[in-house]
Amino acid sequence: MLQPTPPVPQPLENMGQAIPRYEATAKVTGQPLYAADEPIARPLYAFFKTSGVARGTIASLDVRKAEAMPGVMKVYTHRNAPPRKAVKHIMTGGYMSDTNIPLADNRVRHDGDIVAMVVADSYEIARDAANRIEVRYAAQAPAATFGSPGAVKKVPEQAQKNAKKAGDFAAGWSRAPVKVDARYSTPTQHHNPIELYATTAVWNGDQLTFYEPSQFVYSTANGLAEQIGVDPAKVHLVNPYVGGGFGGKGILTQRTALVALAARDLGRPVKLVLHRKQAYGLTTYRAETRQRVRLGADRNGKLVAFAHDGEEVTSRADDYMVGGVENTVEMYACPNIATSVTLVKADRNTPGFMRSPPETPYMFGLESAMDELAVALNMDPVELRRINDTQKSPISGAPYTSRSLMQCYDQAAAAFGWSRRNPRPLSMSQGDWLIGWGCATATYPTNMMASTARIRLTADGKAVVEVAAHDMGQGAYTAMQQIAAKRLGLDPRQVTVRMGDSALPPGPVAGGSMTTASAGSAVHTAAGKIAARFGGAMPAPNDLDDAFRRLGVTQIEEYAEWWPPGQGPQAVRALYKGSMGGGGGEEGEQQEGNAGGGKPMMAAFGAEFVEVRIHRLTREIRVPRMTGAFAAGHIVNPRTARSQYLGGMIWGMASALLEATEVDAKRARYVNDNIAEYLVAVNADVPQVDVILVPEVDTKVNPLGVKGIGELANVGTAAAIANAVYHATGKRIRDLPITMDKLLV
Amino acid sequence: METPKISRRGLLGASPVVAVSAKAASAQTPEAAAPALPDAPVRRRVVLKVNGESRELDLDTRTTLLDALREHLHLAGTKKGCDQGQCGACTVHLDGERVLSCLTLAAQAEGREVVTIEGLARGGKLHPMQQAFIDNDAFQCGYCTPGQIMSAVACVQEGHARTDHEIREYMSGNLCRCAAYPNIVAAINQAKSQMGRA
Amino acid sequence: MRPFTYERPKAIAEAVSMARSEGAGHVNAPVQYLGGGTTLLDLMKLDVMQPTRLVDISRLDDRLLRGVSRNREGLRIGALSSMAELADNGMLARDYPVLQQSLWLAASQQLRNMARVGGNVLQRTRCPYFRDTSYSECNKRIPGSGCAAMDGVNRLHAVLGVSDKCIAAYPGDWAQGLAALDAVVEVLGPGGARSVPFGELHRPPGETPHIETSLQPGELITGFVVPGEPWPRSLYRKVRDRESYAFANASAAVALRMRGDVAEDIRIGLGGVATTPWRARTAEGMLRGKPLTEAAIRAAAEAEFAQARPREHNRFKVALGPATITRALLEAKAMEV
Repeated sequence: MLQPTPPVPQPLENMGQAIPRYEATAKVTGQPLYAADEPIARPLYAFFKTSGVARGTIASLDVRKAEAMPGVMKVYTHRNAPPRKAVKHIMTGGYMSDTNIPLADNRVRHDGDIVAMVVADSYEIARDAANRIEVRYAAQAPAATFGSPGAVKKVPEQAQKNAKKAGDFAAGWSRAPVKVDARYSTPTQHHNPIELYATTAVWNGDQLTFYEPSQFVYSTANGLAEQIGVDPAKVHLVNPYVGGGFGGKGILTQRTALVALAARDLGRPVKLVLHRKQAYGLTTYRAETRQRVRLGADRNGKLVAFAHDGEEVTSRADDYMVGGVENTVEMYACPNIATSVTLVKADRNTPGFMRSPPETPYMFGLESAMDELAVALNMDPVELRRINDTQKSPISGAPYTSRSLMQCYDQAAAAFGWSRRNPRPLSMSQGDWLIGWGCATATYPTNMMASTARIRLTADGKAVVEVAAHDMGQGAYTAMQQIAAKRLGLDPRQVTVRMGDSALPPGPVAGGSMTTASAGSAVHTAAGKIAARFGGAMPAPNDLDDAFRRLGVTQIEEYAEWWPPGQGPQAVRALYKGSMGGGGGEEGEQQEGNAGGGKPMMAAFGAEFVEVRIHRLTREIRVPRMTGAFAAGHIVNPRTARSQYLGGMIWGMASALLEATEVDAKRARYVNDNIAEYLVAVNADVPQVDVILVPEVDTKVNPLGVKGIGELANVGTAAAIANAVYHATGKRIRDLPITMDKLLV
Repeated sequence: METPKISRRGLLGASPVVAVSAKAASAQTPEAAAPALPDAPVRRRVVLKVNGESRELDLDTRTTLLDALREHLHLAGTKKGCDQGQCGACTVHLDGERVLSCLTLAAQAEGREVVTIEGLARGGKLHPMQQAFIDNDAFQCGYCTPGQIMSAVACVQEGHARTDHEIREYMSGNLCRCAAYPNIVAAINQAKSQMGRA
Repeated sequence: MRPFTYERPKAIAEAVSMARSEGAGHVNAPVQYLGGGTTLLDLMKLDVMQPTRLVDISRLDDRLLRGVSRNREGLRIGALSSMAELADNGMLARDYPVLQQSLWLAASQQLRNMARVGGNVLQRTRCPYFRDTSYSECNKRIPGSGCAAMDGVNRLHAVLGVSDKCIAAYPGDWAQGLAALDAVVEVLGPGGARSVPFGELHRPPGETPHIETSLQPGELITGFVVPGEPWPRSLYRKVRDRESYAFANASAAVALRMRGDVAEDIRIGLGGVATTPWRARTAEGMLRGKPLTEAAIRAAAEAEFAQARPREHNRFKVALGPATITRALLEAKAMEV
């Protein structure tokens, strides 16, 4: 039996060294400055008053009590709020997470919309004053979600244009002897990073420095500049550490401009820390979905038809699309494929990216349906995946650059002890606990984005790497340190890394699991340019001093730009503007070292196995152990990679069993808007998680051969758990989260 | 224009005693503390002993220990993750016990020993728990980490770290959204023996 | 949080005299005692509670308020004992496991270090419509304003003891054991000392959900007395969505005195399903003096929930409640004592 990796795994083939995190000592001593930690002299404190209805107008707003309170500097409402420019949504080429501009008029457009902002001498006074503001609303009945009166269906242009299909689904479906036709749903979820959403704005003349958690400092800074009409060169975002992001801190929200403009208006720094509950309405969230999956197979289990149709909630203002059916249909060989996505527009804030945005909900649908198909075929679910495994896209026919899905299944199954499973539901128990085992596929596409990097090497053998990439816990500092050290032939301890600052050369968004592949490629390229100064081969560290003397310099600085295959230098220009999707390949320019032509399939894969235990009387669901095996090309650091997989599987477990933002159907309001009632996993939920790093070599994805891993391991966990619940109880739960109430009825 | 950002080092090196205004000094007796206006803040002079150093502050009675540490003493290692007693990020030791500083008024901590993450390492040497967190990669984003470590140290000192199961239960008040939980358990197991020898 | 004055009296009499106030009910009195503060400060930050004076009693070292003692009458627990301190009490774990477990299974160690067992029984509901002042309908916060939970999200709300005015669940754990064991609450107030049977401490919502207890403004819980012999065959079973640090979907505090298979005496307190710490007297009555079989327990437990009045999302509690009682009693019966 294969041994899962211990906390500090030994590197296997094609893996770097498992050194401790670059910033580890700082983090265990309380030294890193997160956004709200910056010591600022004499700041003012802002606090929002947020709306108590989801739709309507403000009938009356009485701020006199608040204004009269000692220490209150100013109360901003729709009557006196500074104007801001309308900036487009991130998905239509702009910067905003939500284009609804609060305090621009007297309308309320969603739960928790901002109706006033108090700025005061202290946090205590600002909070108290916000509570004293009296608001009356002319409320209208809001549409909360699917099926609510007033919710409007819309098929987005993008979905129609990009709809993936192959063959003739209807024909294949009608001929299939074995069919699964099932409907699944996934709930609203909020990121709930432990670091709160905060913004501190400090003006120095016409220069603005601001501190807020950001997964994309160039985008946040450029977007804010556009909103408030300031030259982007005068806007500086500092955020070296992100206290958890998961997508929630990827895109500029409307709060930032209000804080920045209040600071300019009042001539003093202003600090805002959103209350935990306020984040539910003032940032993004994972949209709830409803899906229909139809799988048709021949009697040997070979897929002959697959249709995946999704409905997703979004706001009135913006057409945010989750769009996961594009990814699910690439999973297995199948000749006849159809997809569709329909948006349902409701009186909600705009949803957005949350850890594996498309894959988390839609792979739950597909991988649950695959299990249902295995049951219908009386076939082992691992074998069903093997039969339908593919090395090329069933849509385009393009080959995967590498795909080790079945290696993952085989290693994880062996470590888990899958062969001991009795496939019959209700067949395994211990005392009063029913036991179920389930498995599912994890996948995440290898995304990449342009990046730049600058490295300065001095004769004493020390290097400084600068790139405005972001570390929100993925281990990005460490990865950049190791990539630079390796190419420069240095001990990693000699490498300093600076990130998370819009004054540094731009790096990619910390999203799409692409930091290492993208920023890492730029760092690798810059280091290569330094090596070129020495003729291509780096001198040994002890010989550097002499080598520098021969060159007649004391330091070498190189700046590099890198863009992914199929993109060109315009991708770097877009990056400087903080544009997320500005890559485009129209110019078709190719950079040396990049593979050209075609659109190969690039993705990481994994297989997850879980055991659930369900009490026969009270129906609590517990997960005593999980095993996951993952293959994602070159692994820069097995220690931090293992931690990401580990945390990912636990995230996936919580997503399956615990996490749902409850939406009041009548009021369109988030009800459990705190982390006592919005349940995330706690330590006691996680007895045993085994991670297996499956070696994989991919020479085509990028110069480093790395794929993204941060959003891989949480995909598939929910389906694995649902499949295990079925095995334990004989009940198929198709609506997440799987809670005891669904097993008690 | 004078830059409003102040140096952390400079600030930490400053005299720990904050000048006390006459207004605050007069607000010491209960009678005098009654607010002049119904909505006016009530001030109180509070002496906090943090990491062995006495610090005198003039505070709104509403100021929590957490905000006193972060906003007034600029000890930002203690984190605000919910401000309502749900996440454990603000965990500090009060007379040796782990408590939530977000639900503790600064005034309640008067005369008691407050230890924060900044006070754990002694003489430049990491506490065994800090080293164990590094060795076992027991964090990712690091935001909950100060609270986890303060909680973990107390967990061992309380005698609640005898088994993995017990550690998991007694560490469940510290949420880690990155979910480094198994590594945190491993770190506590490593540190507990060293703490025992210490 | 509204401005308040903070006092730290040196003696219990001084504290009680400081807390004297005119007010509409104990929870809305302008003067509040500050013990652990884990509910009070939370609700003050949310602007749900707005006292103008806090009397910090947490450092009073009066013997009346501290420690655990046993005498001929039974067990006495001082109200300022912390939850953590009692959860670590070996005698309690041996002789009154239901009490010790109810403390250990509540909250987190940080909160248990702070919270005092006297204040804990006064912990207020987690109903989200109560805890958020932006909801205009809450009869508990604003008498006569309505109840948003009735047609809102009510998965965690009560099915027992509800009224047309309020379905907010009592969220605590420790109180269930005290209710089951017929504890007596010792109270000291401006009018002197008195004793309240635990079952009379909390008031069902009825027409006045804003009045939660029978305490008067300024009254302080000083201790609890659990009369009679120990209850070594007892336990607290808490059923929740996650393994730890969560409120109960349902819980049962059970205590048994067995003779063979027969329950000579039986006590059942329920949490998570009711508006107050709930004593399952119907079920107790059906089982007292009877052999404890799973079928008999199930029937009695279901009878207890015959009076349940579920709403849209908490219907499962009508099944979960009896399942929890059944599991708890079977586990208590199987205890090796």
